[in-house]
Amino acid sequence: MVAYEIFQLVVFPGALFVICLAFLYEWVDRKLFARVQGRYGPLYTGPAGILQPVADFLKLLSKEDIVPRACDANLFFAVPVMYAALPLTALFIMPIAAPEALVSFEGDLIFILFSFGLMTLLIFLAGWSSMSRFSAIGSVRSALQMLSYEIPLGLVLVCPAIAARSLSVSGIVQWQAANATWGAALQPIGLAVVMVCMLAELELVPFDIPEAETEIVAGWRTEFTGRRLALFRMGRDLEIVLVSALVVSLYLGGAQQLWLVPAAAMFVIKTAAVVAVFSFARALFARFRIDQMIAGMWKYLLPIAVAQVVLVQMGLGA
Amino acid sequence: MGYASTVKVPFGPQHPALKEPEHFLFEVDGDTVVGVTPRIGYVHRGIEKALELSTYGHGIYLAERICGICTIAHTCCYAQAVEELMGIDVPPRANYIRTIMSELERLHSHSLWVGLVAHEAGFDTLFMYAWRDREVILNLFQELTGGRVLHAINTLGGVRRDISPEMADKVRRALEHFEGRTKEYLRIVRTEPTFLRRTRDVGVLKPADAARLNAVGPTLRASGIKGDVRRDDPYVAYDEMPFNVITSDSCDVFGRTEVRTEEMMESIGIIRHALEHLPEGVFRVRAPRNVPAGECVSRVEAPRGEDMHYARSNGTAKPDRYKVRAPTLANIPALCKMLVGIHVADIPIILAGIDPCFSCMDRMVFVRSGGSTGRAR
Amino acid sequence: MSIVGEALRQLRRKPCTVRYPAEKAPVPPRFRGMPAWDMSKCILCVLCQNACPPGAIRLIGKGPEAEIEYLMDRCIFCEECAEVCPKRAIVMSDRFELAGFDRSKMVFRFRKEKEKQPEPPKHSAPTANG
Repeated sequence: MVAYEIFQLVVFPGALFVICLAFLYEWVDRKLFARVQGRYGPLYTGPAGILQPVADFLKLLSKEDIVPRACDANLFFAVPVMYAALPLTALFIMPIAAPEALVSFEGDLIFILFSFGLMTLLIFLAGWSSMSRFSAIGSVRSALQMLSYEIPLGLVLVCPAIAARSLSVSGIVQWQAANATWGAALQPIGLAVVMVCMLAELELVPFDIPEAETEIVAGWRTEFTGRRLALFRMGRDLEIVLVSALVVSLYLGGAQQLWLVPAAAMFVIKTAAVVAVFSFARALFARFRIDQMIAGMWKYLLPIAVAQVVLVQMGLGA
Repeated sequence: MGYASTVKVPFGPQHPALKEPEHFLFEVDGDTVVGVTPRIGYVHRGIEKALELSTYGHGIYLAERICGICTIAHTCCYAQAVEELMGIDVPPRANYIRTIMSELERLHSHSLWVGLVAHEAGFDTLFMYAWRDREVILNLFQELTGGRVLHAINTLGGVRRDISPEMADKVRRALEHFEGRTKEYLRIVRTEPTFLRRTRDVGVLKPADAARLNAVGPTLRASGIKGDVRRDDPYVAYDEMPFNVITSDSCDVFGRTEVRTEEMMESIGIIRHALEHLPEGVFRVRAPRNVPAGECVSRVEAPRGEDMHYARSNGTAKPDRYKVRAPTLANIPALCKMLVGIHVADIPIILAGIDPCFSCMDRMVFVRSGGSTGRAR
Repeated sequence: MSIVGEALRQLRRKPCTVRYPAEKAPVPPRFRGMPAWDMSKCILCVLCQNACPPGAIRLIGKGPEAEIEYLMDRCIFCEECAEVCPKRAIVMSDRFELAGFDRSKMVFRFRKEKEKQPEPPKHSAPTANG
């Protein structure tokens, strides 16, 4: 029994499975983004380039390790590891193979929200510790961005919890399963707000302000190379899995069995669809400037989020 | 980063937003640029001296390589200057072919720029689309001249390849496709809200400033001033071409985008007219080897603005002095004016807004004894 | 959002990228690729040497034993040599994949020999003379 639990944690649906999903979704994202732009995307590594993210990861691992002389060494070494570990940890809370997650407790939704905040904090520290001008600007922008999207995000994420009377992600999934409905059908506004906030959380166009290539090189990760950059990229991919898992669990029914299709397969299909929406959306826009983004978030997104909370409190969509 | 002090943010010579090595040192207060110091001279190639060391016939290939993509404009300008010194008349058919080539070059240069400015604004999809459709023009060039970018079609005394009626039909068909695409870009840049937000009221250059700082080309025209060498001092066959000089009163990056995109429509019209009225006859006359003594200035409206060549001959087969003023150099003072008082995030889009081609303009070397580095003012 | 229609259309269309090493875009006629010498026509008149702007063509030696040295790494593919050749011995081929790591392999010598004359691009024998 202990051996099975260890298997669950390490292999399926635990760390290994999730990391494979992360690489898979990076491929989905790159491929779809390329197709929208009339390109092929990854092509040669594995069938249709499906192994390209893994190849990139391995290549970065073997690259020269450059540490800027001025950097804060402790932070500089620690942040990439933490950045990769945090979404991996948070993913244990997500119900992947069954409506019940590996780790689940009342209030784990709060922990997810907290981990999103922590991710941004880590990004800030990453940029700050490398002591480069571009990194510093990138990290300040990242923190500013968090101030604008975190509040609507928090408000809206609470709505499914109110509806399900449970602060646990697994609880919300089970509530959807019991009522045979999807959160998206009850709270479409909430889903829209979450998608916009998640574009910002993942730093995708039009909110890729902290790492705007043409403005500040690579933003907060300018100074990271080799192993550390590989960890950052894996952390980013895991974050994409986490975000899409959260959207699927709260709004799209989560990991529920559908006739003969097992719950895990449904989960993969649904999250892949969410990733596809993200990568399609990021092909459609130009990048906002940081002041425009913050103003827009506070002016438009926050009232909408509040309206969603009010609607739920009035009993609509609950 | 204290509140009182300013931060110096270097831009280049290696920076993703600058495709060419050039350095700008920005003084940034919070998120606002308060000062900018350009420093040019990273890609000084000694091209003027090389022109003085080569014969007139060979020099045209050097002139072709002054700029990365304005090959027709520079060779036109060179050929005009030398032809005037030689006192030869270019046959009308050659002039028409030169006009067609110049306008095709404007099409590919402007669509390249539309892509670039979209990329600077983070709009990579438009960037990819614009560059994909630019291939149509490049392929056309490849069939017309044998080269995609280095066309080697202008020569002293005319052009080296004729446009056959079949080729003319091919050009017309390609233009039909390209016209539709250009209209699409015009629609996108005018309606895409995120793109408008990044370009409207960004990099403002008032008409008075544009005139005072000698801006040229689309940068000048986007500030509402009708300045176009094609109209003011017609060369090749432009005096016989019907076209409008496009201007915009918005004075910002959006205006520059609009002016360039609409100019593409005008260029398509010019090419159609020129193909329709292509005169019969020879397309090349023999140029003498030696050139009588004299001097000459020739002006051409390159896609980026007014391009000026000056040649002085001394009766030998090589020029005595040759001077090139590429359009980007004329736009640098205006650029520095635009760059003050803006957000840091707008730097790349404003830099890209003048369609800089730093490598063509670099004729500057700083030699300073005792000091460390020279700075251009 | 004004690009969404085209983005959706693009998803159904084939990408416009050419998968370069596997498939190649066609080279149009009269493309200015690497020049090729037909030494059976060449009369060693050195007009091409004089016409060449970067000085990529040199005549080495004298009389019928002379060789034409072509420095591909200097060549700018301008077609002046082909244009000036009175016997049309030089043609611009459609070869364009000419990049390499070794400049000594970019020097070709053509010799006028009556006996065996293979195809023009083929009798480019690399020499160590850089």
